Amino acid sequence: MAPGVAVVSVAVAMAIGVYAVAVIDGIAGRLVAGAGRRGVGVVLDPPRTVVLLLMQRRHRTERADAQGWALAPALLGGLAATGLAVVPVDRGTAVADPGTGFVVFATAIAFVMIAVFLHGWSPNSLFPLIGAYRYGAQALSLQIPFLLAMLATALPAESLAVMDIVEAQGDVWNVVRQPLGLPIYLMVGVGVGFWGPLNLPDGADLVGGTSAEDAGTDRLAWEVARAAMLFAIAAMGAAVFLGGWWGPLLPGPVWMALKTLCLLVVMVASRHLLARVRIEPFVVACWAVFIPLALVNIFVSGALLL
Amino acid sequence: MNRSLVVDVLFWCFAAGSVVTGFLVFRTDSMVRAAFWLLASFVGVGAILVLLAAEFLGVVLILMMAGEMLIMAVVMVMFMMNPAGLNPMFMVHQHRFAVAAGVVSFAGLSVVALTVDFPDQPVDPSVDATAELGFELLGDSMLVFQTAGVALLATMVGAIALASRNGRFGTADEGSHEPPLEIEELESP
Repeated sequence: MAPGVAVVSVAVAMAIGVYAVAVIDGIAGRLVAGAGRRGVGVVLDPPRTVVLLLMQRRHRTERADAQGWALAPALLGGLAATGLAVVPVDRGTAVADPGTGFVVFATAIAFVMIAVFLHGWSPNSLFPLIGAYRYGAQALSLQIPFLLAMLATALPAESLAVMDIVEAQGDVWNVVRQPLGLPIYLMVGVGVGFWGPLNLPDGADLVGGTSAEDAGTDRLAWEVARAAMLFAIAAMGAAVFLGGWWGPLLPGPVWMALKTLCLLVVMVASRHLLARVRIEPFVVACWAVFIPLALVNIFVSGALLL
Repeated sequence: MNRSLVVDVLFWCFAAGSVVTGFLVFRTDSMVRAAFWLLASFVGVGAILVLLAAEFLGVVLILMMAGEMLIMAVVMVMFMMNPAGLNPMFMVHQHRFAVAAGVVSFAGLSVVALTVDFPDQPVDPSVDATAELGFELLGDSMLVFQTAGVALLATMVGAIALASRNGRFGTADEGSHEPPLEIEELESP
């Protein structure tokens, strides 16, 4: 794929994904909590928020690390783009399909903690800093179950290329073959995107955490990058657990879009359905429950393949 | 555009970037910035590995460094009693020894770079380098890698056991207990 086409495809996919996250969030909030706008307002609310944030004045703190503050949302958005680029849309159609696509995606996920830490550290302010360290604990605990849950999907395909992982799900999807995988992946996905119940670094209990000092374009860039990351995680989940383009009647890309939307709804709606967890029990649960479960998942998948 | 020209330009960008960010590690005044400059330097090295067709090794290097640098920054900040890592500080100590060590290691590496006859073996595109690496790690070299891995793990467990005997809530071998929520009644004097 030509570099220009690749960049435009990823940008368009990210724009659609970010808008979808905003609209799903609005609808879920409306249905569950009865809050927010109704009718056409739900669809028009995201552009309205964008305009509002663009007109808002930015906030500056004393002796902030201005470069780090500006870099953090750009890094998070770039990681979302990297992750999206390796997700195949149809058989033979992907922006990039390196032989190590799985590892590239895992690297993008691992770097999210650098982006969030930088975002919380650079304003030189108390609550963002607490949020940054909190996310350090959260991300370091999350990422091992994430890697293990996703690694199990590479076993039936005997390949680290995402295209091969999807191709190997022709007869049975990984969500059936590895029932533990998708729940762990979704929990980790919500945690990596620090959304809803796992929004610990930016939570209300920290007055907004790492984004407590963000206003105007800073906040807009951060929210957009976070939504793009959620979308990338949902797209990858649809590819490696729900069989990507596989499905009857409809063409492959439509199936891929429907499955991505399905996972996105589950992840985004969790914000309105589940209470936020505390960081301490969450870290304990990650190390004591989810890592062993993910290991069991890998061992069982491997044993079934022998 | 010519493919090998693109690769050459990318190589020089990543190489120069790695050296410059590596230099900045010692010129910056904050531990967190130093850790992130070091991370940028390693990312450049990982990208060069990808250019060398060691795709898996390059990407895994970048993957591991993200976690390691964050842990390093957190641990450094904890030990230096500088909770934010924002207070200015010097990243260079023991100047005479550092200069001598720097000159010696630069000379040594330069000698190696100039005298060694480096292999020139373009990778056959039909060979799956990642799969070859997997067979090597779990085939002929398995004993070496497993031994090294277990030894490193034992070292880490040992280091933690040595370093963490005294925790905030008591010594580790007696089991650490969080202080009770109930207020103990104090004996009146």
